[in-house]
Amino acid sequence: MALPGLLFEQAPPISVPLRFFLVAPWFGVAAALMLALAGPDSLASRWDPSAVAATHLLTLGVLAMCMIGALMQMLPVVAGAALTRPNRLAWLIQPPLMLGVLLLAWGFTAGRTEILLAALAPLALALFAFVGVALSAMASAAAKNATITAMRLALAALALTVSLGLLAAWTYAGRTGLPLPTLADIHLGWGLLGWIGILVVGVAYQVVPMFQMTPPYPLALTRSLGWLMAGGPAAFSLGRSFELEWLTRGTTMILFAGFALFAATTLRLQRQRRRPLPDITLRFWRVAMVSLLASGAVWLLGLIAPPIAASPRQPLVLGILWLMGFAWSAVNGMLYKIVPFLVWLHLQSQRPPRGTTPNMKQVIAETATRRQALTHETALILLLAACFLRQFFYPALLVGALSFAQVGANLLSAWRCYRLHVRRLSQGVPASSP
Amino acid sequence: MTNLPPERILDARGLEPPEPLERTLEALDTLQPAERLRVLLPREPFPLYAILDRWGYRRQTEALPDGSFAVLIWRD
Repeated sequence: MALPGLLFEQAPPISVPLRFFLVAPWFGVAAALMLALAGPDSLASRWDPSAVAATHLLTLGVLAMCMIGALMQMLPVVAGAALTRPNRLAWLIQPPLMLGVLLLAWGFTAGRTEILLAALAPLALALFAFVGVALSAMASAAAKNATITAMRLALAALALTVSLGLLAAWTYAGRTGLPLPTLADIHLGWGLLGWIGILVVGVAYQVVPMFQMTPPYPLALTRSLGWLMAGGPAAFSLGRSFELEWLTRGTTMILFAGFALFAATTLRLQRQRRRPLPDITLRFWRVAMVSLLASGAVWLLGLIAPPIAASPRQPLVLGILWLMGFAWSAVNGMLYKIVPFLVWLHLQSQRPPRGTTPNMKQVIAETATRRQALTHETALILLLAACFLRQFFYPALLVGALSFAQVGANLLSAWRCYRLHVRRLSQGVPASSP
Repeated sequence: MTNLPPERILDARGLEPPEPLERTLEALDTLQPAERLRVLLPREPFPLYAILDRWGYRRQTEALPDGSFAVLIWRD
Protein backbone atom coordinates (compact mmCIF):
# COMPACT_ATOMS: atom_id res chain seq x y z
CA MET A 1 0.00 0.00 0.00
CA ALA A 2 1.40 3.40 -0.95
CA LEU A 3 1.53 6.35 1.42
CA PRO A 4 -1.49 8.28 0.15
CA GLY A 5 -0.94 11.58 1.95
CA LEU A 6 2.68 11.86 0.99
CA LEU A 7 2.16 11.06 -2.66
CA PHE A 8 -0.88 13.23 -3.09
CA GLU A 9 1.32 16.16 -2.22
CA GLN A 10 2.83 15.68 -5.67
CA ALA A 11 -0.02 17.92 -6.75
CA PRO A 12 -0.17 21.06 -4.58
CA PRO A 13 -3.45 22.11 -2.90
CA ILE A 14 -5.72 24.02 -5.31
CA SER A 15 -5.24 27.20 -3.27
CA VAL A 16 -1.54 27.33 -4.23
CA PRO A 17 -1.86 28.02 -7.97
CA LEU A 18 -5.26 29.74 -7.65
CA ARG A 19 -4.07 32.50 -5.31
CA PHE A 20 -1.63 33.58 -8.03
CA PHE A 21 -4.26 33.43 -10.78
CA LEU A 22 -6.92 35.25 -8.79
CA VAL A 23 -4.83 38.35 -8.08
CA ALA A 24 -2.98 38.60 -11.42
CA PRO A 25 -5.71 40.24 -13.58
CA TRP A 26 -6.12 43.06 -11.06
CA PHE A 27 -2.55 44.17 -11.69
CA GLY A 28 -3.64 44.62 -15.31
CA VAL A 29 -6.49 46.85 -14.12
CA ALA A 30 -3.95 48.76 -12.02
CA ALA A 31 -1.66 49.23 -15.06
CA ALA A 32 -4.53 50.70 -17.09
CA LEU A 33 -5.58 52.97 -14.23
CA MET A 34 -2.04 54.20 -13.74
CA LEU A 35 -1.58 55.02 -17.42
CA ALA A 36 -4.94 56.80 -17.46
CA LEU A 37 -3.85 58.97 -14.51
CA ALA A 38 -0.55 59.74 -16.26
CA GLY A 39 -2.33 60.83 -19.44
CA PRO A 40 -1.77 60.21 -23.17
CA ASP A 41 1.87 61.38 -23.09
CA SER A 42 2.79 58.22 -21.21
CA LEU A 43 2.56 56.33 -24.50
CA ALA A 44 4.90 58.75 -26.26
CA SER A 45 8.06 56.77 -25.50
CA ARG A 46 9.15 53.47 -23.98
CA TRP A 47 11.32 55.46 -21.53
CA ASP A 48 8.35 57.32 -20.03
CA PRO A 49 8.33 56.38 -16.29
CA SER A 50 4.59 55.60 -16.39
CA ALA A 51 5.09 53.33 -19.41
CA VAL A 52 7.93 51.57 -17.59
CA ALA A 53 5.77 51.22 -14.46
CA ALA A 54 2.82 49.86 -16.48
CA THR A 55 5.13 47.42 -18.26
CA HIS A 56 6.31 46.02 -14.91
CA LEU A 57 2.76 45.79 -13.57
CA LEU A 58 2.05 43.64 -16.65
CA THR A 59 5.25 41.58 -16.76
CA LEU A 60 5.59 40.95 -13.02
CA GLY A 61 2.10 41.53 -11.63
CA VAL A 62 0.14 39.80 -14.38
CA LEU A 63 2.41 37.54 -16.41
CA ALA A 64 5.03 36.37 -13.89
CA MET A 65 2.25 35.99 -11.28
CA CYS A 66 0.29 33.63 -13.60
CA MET A 67 3.39 31.86 -14.84
CA ILE A 68 4.65 31.18 -11.32
CA GLY A 69 1.22 29.88 -10.30
CA ALA A 70 1.05 27.72 -13.41
CA LEU A 71 4.58 26.38 -12.95
CA MET A 72 3.89 25.50 -9.32
CA GLN A 73 1.04 23.39 -10.67
CA MET A 74 2.76 22.10 -13.81
CA LEU A 75 6.13 21.09 -12.35
CA PRO A 76 4.62 18.26 -10.30
CA VAL A 77 2.02 17.36 -12.91
CA VAL A 78 3.97 17.51 -16.16
CA ALA A 79 7.51 17.02 -14.97
CA GLY A 80 6.84 14.80 -11.96
CA ALA A 81 8.98 17.25 -9.95
CA ALA A 82 7.41 17.60 -6.52
CA LEU A 83 7.71 20.93 -4.72
CA THR A 84 8.27 20.56 -1.00
CA ARG A 85 5.78 22.46 1.15
CA PRO A 86 4.05 24.24 -1.74
CA ASN A 87 1.80 26.17 0.62
CA ARG A 88 4.68 27.70 2.53
CA LEU A 89 6.47 28.38 -0.73
CA ALA A 90 3.46 30.28 -2.07
CA TRP A 91 3.53 32.43 1.07
CA LEU A 92 7.22 33.07 0.61
CA ILE A 93 6.76 34.16 -3.01
CA GLN A 94 3.42 35.87 -3.50
CA PRO A 95 3.25 38.60 -0.82
CA PRO A 96 6.77 39.95 -1.55
CA LEU A 97 6.12 39.77 -5.29
CA MET A 98 2.92 41.81 -4.92
CA LEU A 99 4.55 44.30 -2.59
CA GLY A 100 7.63 44.62 -4.81
CA VAL A 101 5.65 45.23 -8.01
CA LEU A 102 3.49 47.90 -6.38
CA LEU A 103 6.52 49.68 -4.88
CA LEU A 104 8.33 49.51 -8.22
CA ALA A 105 5.38 51.03 -10.10
CA TRP A 106 4.96 53.70 -7.44
CA GLY A 107 8.69 54.50 -7.45
CA PHE A 108 8.75 54.92 -11.23
CA THR A 109 5.60 57.04 -11.58
CA ALA A 110 6.35 59.25 -8.59
CA GLY A 111 10.00 59.57 -9.63
CA ARG A 112 11.09 58.55 -6.13
CA THR A 113 14.22 56.45 -6.25
CA GLU A 114 14.11 55.48 -2.57
CA ILE A 115 10.76 53.74 -3.18
CA LEU A 116 12.12 52.16 -6.35
CA LEU A 117 15.08 50.79 -4.41
CA ALA A 118 12.81 49.58 -1.60
CA ALA A 119 11.02 47.43 -4.19
CA LEU A 120 14.17 45.51 -5.04
CA ALA A 121 14.56 43.39 -1.90
CA PRO A 122 11.04 41.88 -1.94
CA LEU A 123 11.21 41.33 -5.71
CA ALA A 124 14.61 39.65 -5.48
CA LEU A 125 13.43 37.48 -2.58
CA ALA A 126 10.26 36.33 -4.36
CA LEU A 127 11.75 35.71 -7.78
CA PHE A 128 15.09 34.17 -6.77
CA ALA A 129 13.33 31.94 -4.23
CA PHE A 130 10.98 30.76 -6.95
CA VAL A 131 13.74 30.10 -9.50
CA GLY A 132 15.87 28.28 -6.91
CA VAL A 133 13.07 26.04 -5.72
CA ALA A 134 11.78 25.31 -9.22
CA LEU A 135 15.22 24.45 -10.62
CA SER A 136 16.09 22.22 -7.69
CA ALA A 137 12.73 20.44 -8.00
CA MET A 138 13.39 19.92 -11.70
CA ALA A 139 16.82 18.47 -11.02
CA SER A 140 15.00 15.44 -9.66
CA ALA A 141 12.27 15.47 -12.32
CA ALA A 142 11.15 12.06 -13.51
CA ALA A 143 10.25 13.15 -17.03
CA LYS A 144 12.60 14.45 -19.73
CA ASN A 145 11.28 16.27 -22.79
CA ALA A 146 11.46 19.51 -24.75
CA THR A 147 9.08 21.23 -22.33
CA ILE A 148 11.28 20.42 -19.34
CA THR A 149 14.34 21.74 -21.18
CA ALA A 150 12.47 24.91 -22.11
CA MET A 151 11.26 25.39 -18.52
CA ARG A 152 14.85 25.13 -17.25
CA LEU A 153 16.04 27.64 -19.85
CA ALA A 154 13.16 29.99 -19.08
CA LEU A 155 13.90 29.86 -15.35
CA ALA A 156 17.58 30.62 -15.97
CA ALA A 157 16.50 33.52 -18.21
CA LEU A 158 14.21 34.78 -15.44
CA ALA A 159 17.10 34.75 -12.95
CA LEU A 160 19.21 36.76 -15.40
CA THR A 161 16.34 39.16 -16.13
CA VAL A 162 15.90 39.82 -12.42
CA SER A 163 19.64 40.30 -11.84
CA LEU A 164 19.87 42.73 -14.76
CA GLY A 165 16.70 44.48 -13.58
CA LEU A 166 18.21 45.00 -10.12
CA LEU A 167 21.33 46.41 -11.72
CA ALA A 168 19.28 48.65 -14.03
CA ALA A 169 17.27 49.98 -11.07
CA TRP A 170 20.49 50.81 -9.19
CA THR A 171 21.80 52.53 -12.29
CA TYR A 172 18.51 54.42 -12.72
CA ALA A 173 18.88 55.62 -9.14
CA GLY A 174 22.35 56.91 -9.99
CA ARG A 175 24.19 54.33 -7.90
CA THR A 176 26.33 52.90 -10.74
CA GLY A 177 27.92 54.50 -13.76
CA LEU A 178 26.71 51.83 -16.18
CA PRO A 179 25.02 52.82 -19.46
CA LEU A 180 21.29 52.55 -18.68
CA PRO A 181 19.91 52.12 -22.26
CA THR A 182 22.24 49.17 -22.92
CA LEU A 183 21.47 47.60 -19.56
CA ALA A 184 17.72 48.10 -20.06
CA ASP A 185 17.89 46.52 -23.54
CA ILE A 186 19.73 43.45 -22.29
CA HIS A 187 17.31 43.22 -19.34
CA LEU A 188 14.30 43.25 -21.62
CA GLY A 189 15.99 40.96 -24.15
CA TRP A 190 16.27 38.25 -21.49
CA GLY A 191 12.84 39.03 -20.05
CA LEU A 192 10.82 39.18 -23.25
CA LEU A 193 12.66 36.83 -25.59
CA GLY A 194 14.15 34.60 -22.91
CA TRP A 195 11.83 34.12 -19.96
CA ILE A 196 8.47 34.89 -21.60
CA GLY A 197 9.25 33.66 -25.11
CA ILE A 198 10.90 30.38 -24.15
CA LEU A 199 8.31 29.58 -21.49
CA VAL A 200 5.31 30.12 -23.77
CA VAL A 201 6.96 28.08 -26.54
CA GLY A 202 7.97 25.29 -24.15
CA VAL A 203 4.54 25.12 -22.56
CA ALA A 204 2.93 25.13 -26.02
CA TYR A 205 4.79 21.89 -26.89
CA GLN A 206 2.73 20.21 -24.18
CA VAL A 207 -0.56 22.04 -24.07
CA VAL A 208 -1.31 22.64 -27.75
CA PRO A 209 -1.25 18.92 -28.69
CA MET A 210 -2.84 17.98 -25.35
CA PHE A 211 -5.76 20.39 -25.13
CA GLN A 212 -6.28 21.32 -28.75
CA MET A 213 -5.95 17.74 -29.98
CA THR A 214 -3.36 18.53 -32.65
CA PRO A 215 -0.51 16.37 -33.90
CA PRO A 216 2.71 16.90 -31.89
CA TYR A 217 5.23 19.60 -32.83
CA PRO A 218 7.86 18.24 -35.25
CA LEU A 219 10.93 17.04 -33.36
CA ALA A 220 13.26 18.91 -35.73
CA LEU A 221 11.53 22.18 -34.79
CA THR A 222 11.59 21.67 -31.03
CA ARG A 223 15.28 20.64 -31.16
CA SER A 224 16.48 23.53 -33.31
CA LEU A 225 14.36 26.09 -31.42
CA GLY A 226 15.83 24.82 -28.16
CA TRP A 227 19.35 25.66 -29.33
CA LEU A 228 18.25 28.96 -30.81
CA MET A 229 16.48 30.08 -27.67
CA ALA A 230 19.36 29.11 -25.43
CA GLY A 231 21.94 30.90 -27.56
CA GLY A 232 19.85 33.76 -28.93
CA PRO A 233 19.44 36.01 -25.87
CA ALA A 234 23.08 35.33 -24.92
CA ALA A 235 24.36 36.42 -28.35
CA PHE A 236 22.02 39.44 -28.25
CA SER A 237 23.46 40.48 -24.88
CA LEU A 238 27.03 40.17 -26.14
CA GLY A 239 26.20 42.19 -29.25
CA ARG A 240 24.49 44.89 -27.20
CA SER A 241 27.20 45.01 -24.50
CA PHE A 242 30.10 45.38 -26.91
CA GLU A 243 28.14 47.44 -29.44
CA LEU A 244 28.55 44.83 -32.14
CA GLU A 245 25.65 45.97 -34.31
CA TRP A 246 25.96 43.04 -36.74
CA LEU A 247 25.67 40.52 -33.87
CA THR A 248 22.70 42.29 -32.25
CA ARG A 249 20.84 42.61 -35.54
CA GLY A 250 21.74 39.15 -36.78
CA THR A 251 20.67 37.50 -33.53
CA THR A 252 17.38 39.37 -33.31
CA MET A 253 16.60 38.49 -36.92
CA ILE A 254 17.29 34.80 -36.33
CA LEU A 255 15.33 34.88 -33.06
CA PHE A 256 12.30 36.54 -34.65
CA ALA A 257 12.53 34.05 -37.54
CA GLY A 258 12.56 31.22 -34.98
CA PHE A 259 9.54 32.61 -33.15
CA ALA A 260 7.74 33.19 -36.47
CA LEU A 261 8.41 29.57 -37.46
CA PHE A 262 6.98 28.48 -34.11
CA ALA A 263 3.88 30.68 -34.60
CA ALA A 264 3.32 29.43 -38.16
CA THR A 265 3.75 25.80 -37.04
CA THR A 266 1.28 26.29 -34.17
CA LEU A 267 -1.33 27.80 -36.52
CA ARG A 268 -0.78 24.90 -38.97
CA LEU A 269 -1.10 22.27 -36.21
CA GLN A 270 -4.28 23.95 -34.96
CA ARG A 271 -5.81 23.56 -38.41
CA GLN A 272 -5.07 19.82 -38.21
CA ARG A 273 -6.76 19.21 -34.89
CA ARG A 274 -8.76 16.05 -34.57
CA ARG A 275 -11.89 17.65 -33.11
CA PRO A 276 -12.57 20.91 -34.90
CA LEU A 277 -15.04 22.26 -32.31
CA PRO A 278 -15.02 25.91 -31.24
CA ASP A 279 -12.75 26.34 -28.23
CA ILE A 280 -12.02 29.49 -26.26
CA THR A 281 -8.37 28.69 -25.54
CA LEU A 282 -7.78 28.03 -29.22
CA ARG A 283 -9.20 31.46 -30.04
CA PHE A 284 -6.80 33.14 -27.58
CA TRP A 285 -3.88 31.13 -28.90
CA ARG A 286 -4.63 32.19 -32.45
CA VAL A 287 -4.54 35.84 -31.37
CA ALA A 288 -1.23 35.08 -29.61
CA MET A 289 0.32 33.49 -32.69
CA VAL A 290 -0.88 36.22 -35.05
CA SER A 291 0.55 38.83 -32.64
CA LEU A 292 3.85 36.95 -32.56
CA LEU A 293 3.98 36.97 -36.37
CA ALA A 294 3.02 40.66 -36.43
CA SER A 295 5.77 41.57 -33.96
CA GLY A 296 8.29 39.81 -36.21
CA ALA A 297 6.98 41.80 -39.17
CA VAL A 298 7.22 45.11 -37.27
CA TRP A 299 10.79 44.28 -36.28
CA LEU A 300 11.70 43.38 -39.85
CA LEU A 301 10.12 46.60 -41.14
CA GLY A 302 12.40 48.52 -38.79
CA LEU A 303 15.43 46.80 -40.32
CA ILE A 304 14.34 47.61 -43.87
CA ALA A 305 13.12 51.13 -43.19
CA PRO A 306 15.38 53.04 -40.76
CA PRO A 307 12.75 55.78 -40.08
CA ILE A 308 10.52 53.10 -38.58
CA ALA A 309 13.31 51.83 -36.33
CA ALA A 310 14.07 55.40 -35.28
CA SER A 311 10.44 56.12 -34.38
CA PRO A 312 9.63 55.99 -30.64
CA ARG A 313 6.41 54.20 -31.66
CA GLN A 314 8.14 51.06 -32.91
CA PRO A 315 9.22 49.77 -29.46
CA LEU A 316 5.74 50.58 -28.09
CA VAL A 317 4.00 48.67 -30.87
CA LEU A 318 6.44 45.79 -30.37
CA GLY A 319 5.89 45.85 -26.62
CA ILE A 320 2.10 45.80 -26.97
CA LEU A 321 2.20 43.03 -29.57
CA TRP A 322 4.63 40.94 -27.52
CA LEU A 323 3.20 41.44 -24.03
CA MET A 324 -0.53 41.93 -24.57
CA GLY A 325 -0.88 40.22 -27.96
CA PHE A 326 1.43 37.24 -27.65
CA ALA A 327 2.19 36.54 -23.98
CA TRP A 328 -1.03 37.65 -22.28
CA SER A 329 -3.33 36.16 -24.94
CA ALA A 330 -1.61 32.79 -24.51
CA VAL A 331 -1.74 32.99 -20.71
CA ASN A 332 -5.32 34.32 -20.68
CA GLY A 333 -6.41 31.43 -22.90
CA MET A 334 -4.54 28.86 -20.82
CA LEU A 335 -6.15 30.10 -17.60
CA TYR A 336 -9.50 29.00 -19.05
CA LYS A 337 -8.11 25.45 -19.32
CA ILE A 338 -5.94 25.31 -16.20
CA VAL A 339 -8.41 26.74 -13.68
CA PRO A 340 -11.46 24.64 -14.71
CA PHE A 341 -9.20 21.58 -14.86
CA LEU A 342 -7.91 22.20 -11.33
CA VAL A 343 -11.42 22.72 -9.97
CA TRP A 344 -12.60 19.54 -11.67
CA LEU A 345 -9.53 17.52 -10.59
CA HIS A 346 -9.65 18.58 -6.96
CA LEU A 347 -13.38 17.85 -6.76
CA GLN A 348 -12.82 14.43 -8.38
CA SER A 349 -10.10 13.56 -5.91
CA GLN A 350 -12.78 13.68 -3.17
CA ARG A 351 -14.57 10.86 -4.99
CA PRO A 352 -17.98 12.48 -5.39
CA PRO A 353 -20.98 10.39 -6.44
CA ARG A 354 -21.28 10.40 -10.24
CA GLY A 355 -22.99 13.43 -11.76
CA THR A 356 -22.88 15.54 -8.61
CA THR A 357 -19.96 17.77 -9.59
CA PRO A 358 -19.58 19.97 -12.66
CA ASN A 359 -17.57 18.85 -15.64
CA MET A 360 -14.70 21.00 -16.85
CA LYS A 361 -16.80 23.01 -19.29
CA GLN A 362 -19.31 23.99 -16.59
CA VAL A 363 -16.82 25.56 -14.16
CA ILE A 364 -16.69 28.95 -15.93
CA ALA A 365 -19.66 29.99 -18.09
CA GLU A 366 -18.77 29.81 -21.78
CA THR A 367 -20.69 32.99 -22.58
CA ALA A 368 -18.54 34.88 -20.06
CA THR A 369 -15.26 33.64 -21.54
CA ARG A 370 -16.42 34.41 -25.08
CA ARG A 371 -17.42 37.92 -24.03
CA GLN A 372 -14.03 38.45 -22.44
CA ALA A 373 -12.21 37.19 -25.55
CA LEU A 374 -14.00 39.83 -27.59
CA THR A 375 -13.13 42.54 -25.06
CA HIS A 376 -9.50 41.43 -25.10
CA GLU A 377 -9.28 41.49 -28.89
CA THR A 378 -10.89 44.94 -28.99
CA ALA A 379 -8.47 46.21 -26.33
CA LEU A 380 -5.50 44.94 -28.29
CA ILE A 381 -6.59 46.73 -31.48
CA LEU A 382 -7.36 49.94 -29.56
CA LEU A 383 -3.98 49.84 -27.76
CA LEU A 384 -2.16 49.52 -31.08
CA ALA A 385 -4.22 52.39 -32.48
CA ALA A 386 -3.42 54.49 -29.39
CA CYS A 387 0.29 54.30 -30.27
CA PHE A 388 -0.54 56.45 -33.31
CA LEU A 389 -3.70 58.38 -32.43
CA ARG A 390 -4.15 60.05 -29.06
CA GLN A 391 -7.94 59.89 -29.18
CA PHE A 392 -7.73 56.08 -28.76
CA PHE A 393 -5.73 56.36 -25.53
CA TYR A 394 -8.58 56.44 -23.00
CA PRO A 395 -10.91 54.04 -24.87
CA ALA A 396 -7.99 51.56 -25.13
CA LEU A 397 -7.30 51.73 -21.40
CA LEU A 398 -10.97 51.48 -20.51
CA VAL A 399 -11.52 48.39 -22.66
CA GLY A 400 -8.18 46.93 -21.49
CA ALA A 401 -9.14 47.38 -17.84
CA LEU A 402 -12.57 45.89 -18.53
CA SER A 403 -10.97 42.83 -20.13
CA PHE A 404 -8.69 42.24 -17.12
CA ALA A 405 -11.62 42.76 -14.72
CA GLN A 406 -13.66 40.22 -16.69
CA VAL A 407 -10.84 37.66 -16.34
CA GLY A 408 -10.74 38.42 -12.62
CA ALA A 409 -14.49 37.89 -12.31
CA ASN A 410 -14.42 34.69 -14.40
CA LEU A 411 -11.65 33.15 -12.29
CA LEU A 412 -13.46 34.17 -9.13
CA SER A 413 -16.59 32.38 -10.38
CA ALA A 414 -14.49 29.21 -10.79
CA TRP A 415 -13.25 29.50 -7.21
CA ARG A 416 -16.82 30.03 -5.97
CA CYS A 417 -17.95 26.97 -7.90
CA TYR A 418 -15.21 24.92 -6.21
CA ARG A 419 -16.09 26.18 -2.72
CA LEU A 420 -19.78 25.50 -3.25
CA HIS A 421 -19.21 21.89 -4.30
CA VAL A 422 -16.66 21.21 -1.57
CA ARG A 423 -19.20 22.42 0.97
CA ARG A 424 -21.94 20.27 -0.51
CA LEU A 425 -19.68 17.22 -0.59
CA SER A 426 -18.59 17.70 3.00
CA GLN A 427 -22.24 18.05 4.07
CA GLY A 428 -23.16 14.99 2.03
CA VAL A 429 -25.78 17.00 0.15
CA PRO A 430 -26.38 15.63 -3.30
CA ALA A 431 -25.95 18.58 -5.65
CA SER A 432 -27.04 18.87 -9.21
CA SER A 433 -24.21 20.06 -11.42
CA PRO A 434 -22.86 22.60 -11.93
CA MET B 1 -0.12 -21.52 -16.92
CA THR B 2 -0.73 -19.06 -14.11
CA ASN B 3 -4.18 -17.75 -13.35
CA LEU B 4 -3.93 -14.00 -13.84
CA PRO B 5 -6.85 -11.95 -12.54
CA PRO B 6 -9.29 -10.80 -15.24
CA GLU B 7 -8.21 -7.61 -16.93
CA ARG B 8 -10.32 -4.86 -18.45
CA ILE B 9 -8.79 -2.63 -21.09
CA LEU B 10 -9.65 1.05 -21.55
CA ASP B 11 -8.15 2.82 -24.54
CA ALA B 12 -8.28 6.53 -23.71
CA ARG B 13 -5.79 7.67 -26.34
CA GLY B 14 -7.15 10.29 -28.70
CA LEU B 15 -9.54 11.80 -26.16
CA GLU B 16 -9.57 15.42 -25.09
CA PRO B 17 -8.38 16.07 -21.51
CA PRO B 18 -9.73 15.48 -18.97
CA GLU B 19 -11.76 12.72 -20.66
CA PRO B 20 -9.02 10.07 -20.30
CA LEU B 21 -8.97 10.73 -16.55
CA GLU B 22 -12.77 10.93 -16.40
CA ARG B 23 -13.19 7.58 -18.17
CA THR B 24 -10.55 5.95 -15.98
CA LEU B 25 -12.28 7.08 -12.79
CA GLU B 26 -15.63 5.88 -14.17
CA ALA B 27 -14.12 2.49 -14.95
CA LEU B 28 -12.71 2.26 -11.42
CA ASP B 29 -16.20 2.77 -10.02
CA THR B 30 -17.33 -0.49 -11.60
CA LEU B 31 -14.10 -2.45 -11.19
CA GLN B 32 -14.68 -5.76 -9.39
CA PRO B 33 -12.36 -6.55 -6.44
CA ALA B 34 -10.53 -9.29 -8.34
CA GLU B 35 -10.40 -7.34 -11.59
CA ARG B 36 -7.52 -5.25 -12.95
CA LEU B 37 -7.83 -2.27 -15.25
CA ARG B 38 -5.33 -1.53 -18.00
CA VAL B 39 -5.63 2.05 -19.28
CA LEU B 40 -3.92 3.19 -22.47
CA LEU B 41 -3.11 6.89 -22.29
CA PRO B 42 -1.45 9.41 -24.60
CA ARG B 43 0.93 10.65 -21.87
CA GLU B 44 2.10 9.81 -18.38
CA PRO B 45 -0.85 10.63 -16.08
CA PHE B 46 0.71 12.25 -13.01
CA PRO B 47 -2.68 13.62 -11.79
CA LEU B 48 -4.17 10.10 -12.03
CA TYR B 49 -1.35 8.72 -9.86
CA ALA B 50 -2.18 11.21 -7.15
CA ILE B 51 -5.83 10.15 -7.15
CA LEU B 52 -5.02 6.42 -7.27
CA ASP B 53 -2.61 6.76 -4.35
CA ARG B 54 -5.20 8.66 -2.41
CA TRP B 55 -7.93 6.14 -3.09
CA GLY B 56 -5.67 3.21 -2.17
CA TYR B 57 -5.15 1.57 -5.58
CA ARG B 58 -1.93 -0.08 -6.74
CA ARG B 59 -0.52 0.84 -10.14
CA GLN B 60 2.18 -0.07 -12.59
CA THR B 61 3.12 2.04 -15.59
CA GLU B 62 4.69 0.91 -18.81
CA ALA B 63 5.98 3.30 -21.48
CA LEU B 64 4.97 1.95 -24.89
CA PRO B 65 7.20 2.23 -27.97
CA ASP B 66 4.78 4.64 -29.71
CA GLY B 67 5.20 7.20 -26.90
CA SER B 68 1.93 6.37 -25.14
CA PHE B 69 1.61 4.78 -21.71
CA ALA B 70 -0.18 1.75 -20.28
CA VAL B 71 -1.17 1.93 -16.63
CA LEU B 72 -2.27 -1.24 -14.86
CA ILE B 73 -4.49 -0.55 -11.85
CA TRP B 74 -5.66 -2.97 -9.16
CA ARG B 75 -6.46 -3.33 -5.49
CA ASP B 76 -4.62 -5.75 -3.17
